[in-house]
Amino acid sequence: MSTYSLARNIKQGHKPGENPWSVSRVVALLVLAFLAATWLVPFAWAVLTSLKSEADAGASTISLNPPDGLGFDAYRKVLSAGDIPSWAWNSLITSIAITFLTVAVSALAGYAFSRVSFTGRRWLYAAIIGAIIIPPQMLIVPLFRQMLAFDLVDTYWGIILPQTIAPAMVLILKRFFDQIPVELEDAARVDGANRLRVFWSIVLPLSRPILAAVAIFVFIGAWNNFLWPFIVTTDADLMTLPVGLQTVKSAYGLQYAQNMASAILAALPLVVVFLFFQRHIIKGVATTGFGGQ
Amino acid sequence: MTSLDRHISRRRLLSGAAALAGGGMLFGCAPGASRSTSNLDYWHLMTGGDGIVMAGLVDAVSAANLGFHATQTVLAWGPPYYTKLAMASAGGRAPDVAIMHASRIAGYAPGGLLEPWDLDLLAEVGLKESDFPPLVWQKGMYDGKLYSIALDTHPFVLYYNTEHATKAGVTDALQTMKSPEQFTEVATKMQEVTGKHGVSYGYLGDGSQMWRLFYTFYRQLGAEMKLVPGQKAQVDEDAAVKALSFVQSLLDDKIASRSGDGGTATSEFLHGESGLFFGGVWELPVLKDAKMPVDARPIPTLFGTDAAYADSHTFVLPRQSKASPERRKHVYQLVAEILKRSVKWAGAGHIPAYQPVVRSPEYQELKPQSNYAGIPAYVNYDPDVWFGGAGSDFHKYFAENVQNVYLGSGDPAAGFEGFVKRLNVLLDRPQPV
Amino acid sequence: MSTAIDATTTPAEVVAEGPGSGQDRARRGESLTGWAFAAPFAVLFVLFLVVPAIYGLYLSFTGETLTGSGGELLGFANYAEALTDPDMWKSLGNTLWFTVLSTVPLVLLSLAFALLVNLGLPGRWLWRLSFFLPYLLASTVVVMFWSWMYNPKLGLINGVLGEFGIAPVAWLQDPNVAMISVVVTTLWWTIGFNFLLYLAALQNIPEQQFEAAAIDGAGKWRQLFSIVIPQLAPTTALIVTLQILASLKVFDQIYMLTNGGPAGATRSIVQYIYESGFTGYRFGFSSAISYLFFAIIVLVSLAQYKLINRRNAA
Repeated sequence: MSTYSLARNIKQGHKPGENPWSVSRVVALLVLAFLAATWLVPFAWAVLTSLKSEADAGASTISLNPPDGLGFDAYRKVLSAGDIPSWAWNSLITSIAITFLTVAVSALAGYAFSRVSFTGRRWLYAAIIGAIIIPPQMLIVPLFRQMLAFDLVDTYWGIILPQTIAPAMVLILKRFFDQIPVELEDAARVDGANRLRVFWSIVLPLSRPILAAVAIFVFIGAWNNFLWPFIVTTDADLMTLPVGLQTVKSAYGLQYAQNMASAILAALPLVVVFLFFQRHIIKGVATTGFGGQ
Repeated sequence: MTSLDRHISRRRLLSGAAALAGGGMLFGCAPGASRSTSNLDYWHLMTGGDGIVMAGLVDAVSAANLGFHATQTVLAWGPPYYTKLAMASAGGRAPDVAIMHASRIAGYAPGGLLEPWDLDLLAEVGLKESDFPPLVWQKGMYDGKLYSIALDTHPFVLYYNTEHATKAGVTDALQTMKSPEQFTEVATKMQEVTGKHGVSYGYLGDGSQMWRLFYTFYRQLGAEMKLVPGQKAQVDEDAAVKALSFVQSLLDDKIASRSGDGGTATSEFLHGESGLFFGGVWELPVLKDAKMPVDARPIPTLFGTDAAYADSHTFVLPRQSKASPERRKHVYQLVAEILKRSVKWAGAGHIPAYQPVVRSPEYQELKPQSNYAGIPAYVNYDPDVWFGGAGSDFHKYFAENVQNVYLGSGDPAAGFEGFVKRLNVLLDRPQPV
Repeated sequence: MSTAIDATTTPAEVVAEGPGSGQDRARRGESLTGWAFAAPFAVLFVLFLVVPAIYGLYLSFTGETLTGSGGELLGFANYAEALTDPDMWKSLGNTLWFTVLSTVPLVLLSLAFALLVNLGLPGRWLWRLSFFLPYLLASTVVVMFWSWMYNPKLGLINGVLGEFGIAPVAWLQDPNVAMISVVVTTLWWTIGFNFLLYLAALQNIPEQQFEAAAIDGAGKWRQLFSIVIPQLAPTTALIVTLQILASLKVFDQIYMLTNGGPAGATRSIVQYIYESGFTGYRFGFSSAISYLFFAIIVLVSLAQYKLINRRNAA
């Protein structure tokens, strides 16, 4: 896959034989630095606000050095209120379940489409490809009604199940399996291994990079998804982080520092994960983003 | 939140994890099913000053050792709150008790989203009809049943700066004015004192604010507005044009800023840059905190008939598919206990609905709250219709058609006509509840 | 965000027949195996996609409401009402306007960012991090950051403008500015995705092409327009496609930043679906708008498919 070359090129730096400090390169560097700084400003401003006292945060002058000093008071208050940890837990549970289920069912289906000839394969595949075009947003009303009927409103499964269908992921995985030489499997099958065993012990190990890419993409989407969890949860204790932060208000009114502390806390998990696994995540998103093109 | 709540969410976390580990176990296992009978879920939409008082009331009742405690969930005011409440009720998973604006009952009760209060059970906790102002109690009735119990009445009133009033020599006139001309005269004198504006009124981009003042004057003109689905809206156009024209005449950038929004209007009045202020009673805590010389009174009757726009925060029972009688009993107790403590609620500006509190010396000493305590006797709620009420589309449509009238660029008759046309479209639609 | 990968494939995709066996029994066994592998996905697919899609279509012909009343068939009444509803048209217009306003900078700027980062200047990981990081944030967090930035009295933007003596702007309350503010937030939030795709595509351009061009004496700018941009054409087509479809589906950031206001100036079509269904209780009417929205998505996808195919054929 084309994007795997990304990591290699990253370390390459400037091309040999070029003057590293030509005027145009310095100008380009300054432009980049300016843009990157601009992009980081909302983060920085949020972090700064979250470290101020409420009085300073609500003062109408921009101050980098507020009278009350900086501290973690807002974080302490937000965390002791107890909502954010429980929402984060809901997000974690549902996102992991969504990721696991999506990867599992998509890989199985992708393999079937790639390797096994079964009656109805053609039309099932066509239906799935066709379904890529259906925007999930148009299904909120019928799906909510359906969830009421299944008694799944305000349950983890209600959040999880509709998010596990990712036709595009089936397609990406199928295309990857298509590229694995059939001979590798044939040898094992001659030895009497059944399909599931072949899939498990030969195909899956070879597909680790693509599975990781799909998993990363699905996880980010699930962790950040707003609309569906917002529709299907009305119980504040079952809300995911994005939904809870948006829906449930503090009885004590707008408290700017605590508000920003909540936002930072909600952003933190994925940002930390990203800092550690930057290369994998970038590769995963780029690979899946290309949709197997 | 109390430590007990934390304990509960932790327990729920663990049960969630266990359920997921157990796979299909989670199916059909609603989280509410395992709730204890002593922990009530209570939803409301009060934040800021109101929210602090309400949180205090809930904590006080929970701490009173009555065998139950309440956990409050606060959602964002307006459509987000009412949408979630309707969705929760439709699923039968609603909270045990919730706050609803009286003006919203018409959009909830007919669809079966609410359950009526049982008058016998109310009597058991010491609440009866005679404890409430008749108009306020009546507003909770739908189809012969009681769907809501009012906590308060919160009207739109007139605040004034007492120092400016003295300087302008209008202290007496403020109490006696009876016509639009007299009001304009007082406002002009105030303007001469402040040098900026006479009146502050924030309405820009806020349909509810536009509606509150308009409806006050409209009703003072003796006009009514009846909205019955399937029929044309019954309105009094002449009165509407009169009311709109009067508001327009005030917003001339001299008496009042032509384009004030809520924030600027409040801060203008706070900083003494105007002498009069049209606002809801809920603005009172902010004005008092500023330690300014403020007093308040009902919006004076300028057009002959006593009338005041107001709404009420009320307690309702959202539909639950599995309501436990024991929890219900606790809900009645909770409501009674909050009502009995509602002099605290009056501190946030509202007029308590529970008359024993209103009659108490403690309340009568509250100034300026007791100045406008007579309003519930002639209160005017929004017209009853499914799309009406606080923060509803109704107010939005009013804004869409009338904002340019207030801004001075639109014709009052044309603006009101546009609004009525919009209402007729909605009245023509099938009622969804 | 999870829908960003939509429409990267086309219904024309044909499945190659797998290796078949001559014997009936073996074929039946193979068929069973195939279904066993595909079943978990197929079941979820039918339950949570096919069923609601069909059920929604049915609802769109009824007067069904949130409370379960009014389930009688109405024929095309909901569609007729939607097509004459000024709010529907306004929401649709807002959505298309947002799509235009957001797609252009999201494509051009992401290309510019990728080209800059690809120059191989020092600190590369930092640049990449800065541009990509916002993409990892939930819409709620993005909106919390930006509501604070846009705050008329306390926000950083008006604060900085004030330092230069510029009067405060009501970024989210002024109907003339609100949509721009929403687009700026969207740009900040999602540019990282397009940027990454461009970056990946850039690194895929064979080095030899540049060497050959360098021998021909082509300067950097010439190389950009004669090699880089043409080589990126398929990526650009893909990004434009994904971006238009993603922008048409906008909901989160608008709902949370402005709630569609002021006076409906930013309300998107998805928000109108949400509001008519859940705030207005009208499930049938909401479903009709959903299907009108779907029709637009299909039309746009078909148009793009045709365009891209024609270009590929040329």
